[in-house]
Amino acid sequence: MSGFMNRLRAAGLCAALAGLALPAAHAALAPWSALAGKTVLFVTGGADSPTPNDDTRVARHLEQLGLVVHTVDAAAPASDADGTALIVLSSTANPHVLGDKYADTPVPVFTWNTYDYPNLGLTGPVLHRDFEVIDPTQHYADSFAVLYGYGANVTSEISRTVGLKAQLFGTLYLEPETAGWGRPGPGGTVIADFNGMSDHAAVFTYERQASLADGRVAPARRVGFYLGDDDFHLLTAAYGPAANDPNMRSWAIGLKLFDTALRWAASPPPAMPAYDPSALEATLRHAARGRKLLFVERKDAGEGAEADEHIVAHLRGLGFTVTVADQSDPQTMAQGQDLVIVSGTCSKWKLANKYADVSIPLISLEGLMSDTMHFSGYDRYVDYGEHGEERESDDPAENYLDIVGAWSPMAAGLKPGLVKFATDPGVLKWARPLPDAIVIATLPNEPQERAIFGYPKGARMAGGFVAPARRALLPLDNPTYDELTPQGSALFDAVVLWTIGD
Amino acid sequence: MTRVSRLAVAGTCAVAAAAMAVSVPAVAGALPFGIAHRIELAGGSPVAALAFAADGKLAYAAAGDELQGFEVATGAPAALVKSPGTVVALASSPEAGGTLYAAVGTPARLLFLSQRPLRVRSSVAVRGGPPSGLLYEPGEHALYVESRVGRSVTRLDSRSGKAIAVAHLQGAPAQMAGDGRGTLYVANTATDAIDVIDTDKMMGIGAIPTPDCHAPTGLAVDPVGRRLFVACGNGTALVIDTDMGFAFEQLPIQKAQAQRTVFAFHPGGPGGWKGGAFIAGDGPGLDAIRMNAFISYASGGSMPLSGRVTAMAVSPSAEQLWIAIAPREGSGATGSAAAVGESRQESAVHILALAGSGGGAP
Repeated sequence: MSGFMNRLRAAGLCAALAGLALPAAHAALAPWSALAGKTVLFVTGGADSPTPNDDTRVARHLEQLGLVVHTVDAAAPASDADGTALIVLSSTANPHVLGDKYADTPVPVFTWNTYDYPNLGLTGPVLHRDFEVIDPTQHYADSFAVLYGYGANVTSEISRTVGLKAQLFGTLYLEPETAGWGRPGPGGTVIADFNGMSDHAAVFTYERQASLADGRVAPARRVGFYLGDDDFHLLTAAYGPAANDPNMRSWAIGLKLFDTALRWAASPPPAMPAYDPSALEATLRHAARGRKLLFVERKDAGEGAEADEHIVAHLRGLGFTVTVADQSDPQTMAQGQDLVIVSGTCSKWKLANKYADVSIPLISLEGLMSDTMHFSGYDRYVDYGEHGEERESDDPAENYLDIVGAWSPMAAGLKPGLVKFATDPGVLKWARPLPDAIVIATLPNEPQERAIFGYPKGARMAGGFVAPARRALLPLDNPTYDELTPQGSALFDAVVLWTIGD
Repeated sequence: MTRVSRLAVAGTCAVAAAAMAVSVPAVAGALPFGIAHRIELAGGSPVAALAFAADGKLAYAAAGDELQGFEVATGAPAALVKSPGTVVALASSPEAGGTLYAAVGTPARLLFLSQRPLRVRSSVAVRGGPPSGLLYEPGEHALYVESRVGRSVTRLDSRSGKAIAVAHLQGAPAQMAGDGRGTLYVANTATDAIDVIDTDKMMGIGAIPTPDCHAPTGLAVDPVGRRLFVACGNGTALVIDTDMGFAFEQLPIQKAQAQRTVFAFHPGGPGGWKGGAFIAGDGPGLDAIRMNAFISYASGGSMPLSGRVTAMAVSPSAEQLWIAIAPREGSGATGSAAAVGESRQESAVHILALAGSGGGAP
């Protein structure tokens, strides 16, 4: 009887799971029709606004998009945002008057008030390092450079909707203009940048529950945009016959980027996943059924052999059909497989460049292969590196991670902030991926050292490589799997689930 | 016809503009052009069209069924020809030693005239409705005849007069302009857009919206073909980058329902503006857009006028802008003494030949 009941429960669970989609990389945008009639709080400088400015044009544009615009000045109380769908902060509002009043507001914020970025926690506080406003008076030469943006991210919903490519585009029409940039924290997503420098982000976002640059957590979506006071009307767009020219259409995207980023901000964010290892495992078990997995290891490994065995056993237990390959086996071993996992026991020297270009999803448990896998640049200890390896790292052993992308299913529902990843301090690898990567965790106090991240399919990876399928880094040095905490194990399952979720 | 030649200086207009500041919603400073000639026309018919000969030495005016030629240097009459009907539009070309084209409204015909002497050489019937506009494109050896009533533009061979193709339009067509590189633009007051026509196929290939610029009527394109100058009824002018269809400059002008726009590089001679677009119609005066650089434009000033402008032409060769003025409807023959420094109270049909002050940017 109990066996029958177990089968019945299992059948019910499977039926429920059958309705679950595998995790998407990014949440979908709401259609404009769903936003029509929503109220936007438009915060400007009011009577103190510098002139000329485009605030009136912006307000009219928002109304043309179907939004109801409630304009207030910088001194208005934050409570004015209650019940609104979006806060739009113009650069004409005095950032010192604005202060941080909207920082904790659980209403999305779309801002081009660059000087207010630090108040919102979108960037660090240091002018010229963390944020800057380029204007023709102070920076005449640079004010030409900001007429050109670079598509840093091609896989976010904003990027895909706009058709953003990893190439230059026109930001503003052709005269030296004022524009701002910011350097978001690791929880942010750089959509477009200036000069190809992702730390000079022209357009960047934070998903709800993403960690902000100041360590706080975004209470709702946040968007930073490059506009100045009076250049909204110069946001590029192509009309008439030019709108049918693919080159011009992909060049003149400033206004489309503005509209889409605004729509993204006002769209409902994805539901925050709950931390529930059992449910996660059940979902992964369902997804694993019928999938073939190639586990690549060093078969004569000493230290990590036992951990590798346990990883393989866990994967088989989930339902994957696992084939174990040695690091020296040919890449053809991946043919017919659904997922490749490269163990941390593999020697970078022996694995060489294998599997980097496989057309199926891949997880690397070895951070030091980030260069060969196109996860990062080639500069060891700059583009990728490690903590805790004697004689190879100046950084101490570590067993905690800082969750900065709690919103992603890859974060297993863990809350933002520090999480104990392994039971004891040990070796932890990291890399600096490109802006297309979704960053889940960094090393503590090292926001540039990203430990867990994933590239969606089609992402621009290092060296111009385009991800043929999802890619993920999960740093598990030789024995670390056996030392994972329950949270660490949940991260393992979540990363596997995300990676096969193309 | 009487002729008054006086080389007024820019300061004259500046004083005049200042005097009119109360009644004219001036949107910029005074236009730095002075009156070279004032030509009064007898008969009372408003001038429907003006054109310059390619070398800038002669200018032509169409009033009623008369075509008149003038010496640009002096404003003196040079020739007079009767047309078989009311001439509604003119164009000029250097072809065949100098050709003047005249579109006759009723019956709808296109006249081909030699310029020296001014004589009708031939004529062809025009299809597509009664003509309202005429455009010559030298690079294409093409004439475009617009019919606002017929909502069409007909392309003709400028040498033979043979009709080649007709483009049918929607909405309310207004002034047209061509870039000489295979594209024709037509202002559409009904749709707040500039319709774009491929002249090879004579088919519409899109429409450029005119944001914040409602009821566009006046339209000109620079000779390079990359900047459109649009005048709208709501008191707004746009400069549009034709490569992108993007309106990157918006400038205030005086409100009017029917405006015309003309453009020329160095309209006041080599020492003056790099380029200028001039806008006038049934509003209170003449407005100008000054080209500072190919991507930089500013209001070039305005000039109050004693009547409505019925025709305009500009010639960099002549270094002059001619505007034809008729009494405002319902206003009798009165005008402002202060307007453009004119000493006479009445405002009969006349032509003002304006010249830049020259010698450095105005």
